[in-house]
Amino acid sequence: MTRQPPVPPRGARSQRTRSSSQLRGWLRHHRAMGADSARRLLRQPLGSLLTMLAIAIALVLPAALWLMLDSARLLDAELDDSATLTAYLEPRVAEGEAGRIAEAVAAQSGVAGTRLITAAEGMAEFQQALGLSDALARLDGNPLPASIVVTPDDPAPAAVRQLARSLEALAGVAEVRLDLAWLERLRHLAELGRRVALALGVLFGLGVLLVVGNTIRLAVESRRQEIEVVMLIGATHAFVRRPFLYSGAWYGLGGGLLAWALLALGNQWLATPVRALAASYGASFTLPQLGLPGSATLLICSTLLGWLGAWIAVGRHLAGIRPR
Amino acid sequence: MIVFEHVGKRYGGRFEALANLDFRVRRGEMVFLTGHSGAGKSSLLRLIMCLERPSRGRILVAGHDLARLHPSQVPFYRRQVGVVFQDHQLLFDRSVFHNVALPLEIRGMAPREAARRARAALDKVGLLHRERALPIELSGGEQQRVGIARAVVNKPALLLADEPTGNLDPQLSADIMALFEDFNRIGTTVMIASHDLALIARLRHRTLRLREGRLVADEEAA
Ligand SMILES: Nc1ncnc2c1ncn2[C@@H]1O[C@H](COP(=O)(O)OP(=O)(O)OP(=O)(O)O)[C@@H](O)[C@H]1O
Ligand SMILES: [Mg+2]
Repeated sequence: MTRQPPVPPRGARSQRTRSSSQLRGWLRHHRAMGADSARRLLRQPLGSLLTMLAIAIALVLPAALWLMLDSARLLDAELDDSATLTAYLEPRVAEGEAGRIAEAVAAQSGVAGTRLITAAEGMAEFQQALGLSDALARLDGNPLPASIVVTPDDPAPAAVRQLARSLEALAGVAEVRLDLAWLERLRHLAELGRRVALALGVLFGLGVLLVVGNTIRLAVESRRQEIEVVMLIGATHAFVRRPFLYSGAWYGLGGGLLAWALLALGNQWLATPVRALAASYGASFTLPQLGLPGSATLLICSTLLGWLGAWIAVGRHLAGIRPR
Repeated sequence: MIVFEHVGKRYGGRFEALANLDFRVRRGEMVFLTGHSGAGKSSLLRLIMCLERPSRGRILVAGHDLARLHPSQVPFYRRQVGVVFQDHQLLFDRSVFHNVALPLEIRGMAPREAARRARAALDKVGLLHRERALPIELSGGEQQRVGIARAVVNKPALLLADEPTGNLDPQLSADIMALFEDFNRIGTTVMIASHDLALIARLRHRTLRLREGRLVADEEAA
C-alpha cells in the first residue's frame, strides 16, 4: 500500500493570506459554481421553467405599469410646458392690430413669452389636431378668432389667474382661457399612478424574493448532507452559499427574460387594435416599448432579486445547519 | 500540539460527557484514545475540530486558543486538521477522485495541482485504480480509505481519526494503522480513537484511556 512517502507537513498557518493564486482560486470557484448551478437548473427543465415563469408573471405587471408611467412622465413634461394661457382676440381685430396687441401683452409684467396665432394658423392647427379637414373645408369663412398663447413667468395657479385677469382688461382681448383644474387633476392622477406602481413593484418584488427563496430553500435542504460535509472539512459560509446564489441569479435572469418576452408578446398583441383606435381619431399613437435601457433595467433588477432571494434563504438555513 | 487544560463538556446543561481533562500531545506524537462506547472519545475529537465548544477549561491546538477563534476563522482552522470520520462523511454523488480533491477545491487550489495531489493521496491508500468509482460502489473498508486519503490530501500537521478500523477485518485494520504510522513517521501528529484494544496493544504508542468522560490512564508506549 505504501509506495511514496507523503511530503512533510508544513507548519500550521494561522492567517488567511490573500495572494494572487488565492484570487485565481476564488474566481475559478465562481466560474465553476456559475456553470454548475446552471447545469443543475437545466437538469430539471420543467421545475426551473415553472419557477422562472412564476418570477416572470410577478415582474410583468409592475413592468407594464412602469412603461405606462414612463409615457405619462413624457406627457407630464409636455404639460409643464403647456401651463399657458390663451388670450382670444375679438373677431373683428385685424391682423396688423393683432400683432400690436401681442406686443402689449408681451410688455405686461409676469409674461415670459407670447406667440401670436392668426386666425388662419389657428384653423390649420385645428384641422391637423382633429383630422376633420373634410368637414372644416365645407365651412365658408374662418370662424376662429386670432389668439395669443401666453407663457407665464410663474406657473403657480394663483399667479396665472392674476395674469389672466390683467390680460382680460386689455382692449381687443375677448376672453382668456386657462385649463388649470384639468391640468391639476391630471397631475394628481399621474401621482396616484406612480404610487400604485411603486407599491405594486415592492409587493411583486417581495413575491419574487419569496418564489426564489422557497426554491432555494428546497435546494439547500436537498443538499444538506453535502453542505455538512464541506463545512466539516473547512468550507467557509461564502463557499457554501455561492452555488445557491448563482442558482438564484439564474432563476432571476430566466424570469426576467421570460417577463421581457411576455411584455413583447403583449405589445404585439395589443399593437394592432391600439393603432386602429388611434387612427380612427386621426392620431398616431404607439404603445410604449421597453427599449434597450428598459430591457437592461428589467434583467438587472430580476437577476438581483433572484440573487437576493437566494441570499436570504441560504443565510437563514445555513444558520440551522451545523456539521455533525 | 494539543493542550487540554481542565476541559469539561456538558450536553444539555446536565449530562457531563467529559470532565476535567488535562493532557498535552507533543508535535509529531502518535496517540491512541480508547474507552468503552460512550466514554467520550468522539466528543473529545469534536472539541479539537471545533465542532463543539468546551463547557469549561481551555484547549490549545497548534498555538490557537480554540475559545478565541472567531466563527469566521473556524473554517480556516479546520483546513489545518485532517479528520477521518467514524461514518466516512463522503459525498455519494461524486467520484472517489472528486471526494479526495474536495478539500483542495475548497482551498481554491489550481485544478492541475489538486489533481496531482489527490492522485498521490489515493495512491497512498491503494485506491488509485478506483478514482472514477462512486463511493457507493466501494466496500466499507475502501470507503474508509477514501476518507483517509481526503484527510491527508491537504498535508495537515494534525490528523484525527475516529474509529478508522471500525468494521474492518484484522488484516485491513493492521494495514490502515500502518498507514497512519507512515504519516506519523514523516512528522504528522496523529490521534486515533479506537476500541480495538488488541491492535492498540500491538502497535505500542501512547494511549489515553477514557472512562465516563474522565481520563483514567495515560500510558506511554511500552
Ligand atoms: N450532541 C450530543 N448531545 C447530547 N449528548 C451527547 C451528544 N454527543 C454525545 N453525547 C453523549 O456523550 C457521551 C459520549 O459520547 P461519544 O460519542 O463521545 O462517545 P464515544 O466514546 O465516541 O462512543 P463510541 O465508541 O460509541 O463512538 C455519550 O453518552 C453520548 O450520549
Ligand atoms: Mg464515537
